[in-house]
Amino acid sequence: MKVKLWGTRGSIPAPGPETIRYGGNTSCVGVTLADGSMLALDAGTGIRCLGLALPDEPTRLHILLTHLHLDHIQGLVFFAPAFRPQTEIVIWGPASPEASLRDRIARYISAPLSPVEVRELPCDVSFRHCPESEWEIGSARIRAGSVSHRGPTLGYRIDDGDSSLAYIPDHEPALGADLDELEEDWISGFELARDASLLIHDGQYTDAEYPGHVGWGHSATSHALSFARRTAAERTVLFHHDPLHSDDQLDALAAEAREKWVELGGDAGAIELAAERSEYELPVRAPQATATA
Amino acid sequence: MSFVTQRPLELILARNLMSALSTPAFLVDEGGLLVFYNEAAGMLLGKRFEELGTVGPQEWGSLFGPFDESGEPIPYDDLPLVRAVRAGRPAHAELTIRSTDGTQHDVEVSAFPIQTPHGSQGAIAVFWPSLVNGNGAGRA
Repeated sequence: MKVKLWGTRGSIPAPGPETIRYGGNTSCVGVTLADGSMLALDAGTGIRCLGLALPDEPTRLHILLTHLHLDHIQGLVFFAPAFRPQTEIVIWGPASPEASLRDRIARYISAPLSPVEVRELPCDVSFRHCPESEWEIGSARIRAGSVSHRGPTLGYRIDDGDSSLAYIPDHEPALGADLDELEEDWISGFELARDASLLIHDGQYTDAEYPGHVGWGHSATSHALSFARRTAAERTVLFHHDPLHSDDQLDALAAEAREKWVELGGDAGAIELAAERSEYELPVRAPQATATA
Repeated sequence: MSFVTQRPLELILARNLMSALSTPAFLVDEGGLLVFYNEAAGMLLGKRFEELGTVGPQEWGSLFGPFDESGEPIPYDDLPLVRAVRAGRPAHAELTIRSTDGTQHDVEVSAFPIQTPHGSQGAIAVFWPSLVNGNGAGRA
C-alpha cells in the first residue's frame, strides 16, 4: 500500500511563502493498494494535484470522504479525472438523515457556488453511503466509523494484506474525556486506529491554543499523542494543520511532539507532521506459499 | 485483525457530556445494560459507577429499589429508562430510590432515547429532585 499526502492543511487553503514545506492545500491523501486500486481520502484542494498526476486513460477510483466540510470537498470540481468520460468515480461518505450524499454534495457542485452541476460531470460518478460493516475495495478491506467532530463525520481504516492505514483527519476524541484514563471502548475512533501501521490524525492545535478551541472538533498535540499511544499505532502523522501555522511554527511543533512522544515512552521517529507530497510505503506481505503436491 | 466492541459514538458523546454535569444522569445501551452513570448519580446512590460497573437491566432496575408514591416497588417494565429504550419515546415519572446507606430520595426522572441514523442506541435518564415530595432531600 502506497500513501501520498496531497493536502495536509485544515479549514482553508493556506498558500504562500510561509507554508511551502508543509503545504497549503486542504485534506487529501492518495492511496494505491497492492492490487493497483486507487483511493483518494477526502477531496480538499489537494485532490486537484492528485488528479493532474493520474494518467489520462480509463481509470476507476474511489473517493472516501470523511465529512462534507468545505476543506474536504472543495477540490472535487477541480479534479481533472472527473471531466473525462472514461473515468469511473465512486464517492463514499457519511449518511445523514437529512439528505442523500449526492444531494448534500450537490449543494456545493451547483450554482451559484460552482460552474458545473453534478449531472453535468462527464465522468461516471456514483455516490454511496458507507456501510456500517466492513467492505472491500480492490485488495483492501475498508471500515468506516463515526468519530467525534462537528456533524456526521467518519474516520477510515484500510487493511491491505498485513498493513493498515487509519485516517482520522478531523477528530476531537478528548472532548470531555481523559484519553489517558478512559476505557478503550469509550474512546472515539479507537477501533479504527488500533495497532495501525500508519495513523494519520488530526493535530490542528498546539496545547496552548486548544483551550480557546474546545468543541471545535479538532485535537491538540497532546491529545493526538495520547490517542496514538492508547491505540498503539506504529507510526503517527499529525495532519490537518491550522492555516495560521507557518512552516517554522510547524517545525517547532514537530520537535515538541517528538519530545512528548519520547516522554510517553515512544520512539521519536514514529511521530511526524504531515508534509504535502510526502510518501509512505506500507509493506504488504504476500500470503505464505503453501506446498502443493 | 479483531476489533474491540466499540461503543457507538452517540453513547461516547453522551457519557462525555454526562461526566461534566452536576445533575444525576444514567446511560443505558440499546440492550438496556447500564453502561454509565455520573458522579452526581453516584453521590445520590451512595456508590460510584466505578465501584458498581456495568449491570444488566433486571439488576439495575431493582438495585436501588425504585418505589412509587405508595411505597410499592415499580415494575421493571414501567421504569422510565426501560420505557424509553423499548418504545423509543421519552418517559417521565416520580419515584423514590434508596441509596446504599438506606436513605430514600424522592426524585423525578426524565428519560429519552438516543436515536441515531443507525437506529436506537440506548437511552439517557436524568434525575431531578422532586418538587412534590421534599425537594429530593434524603430521608432515613
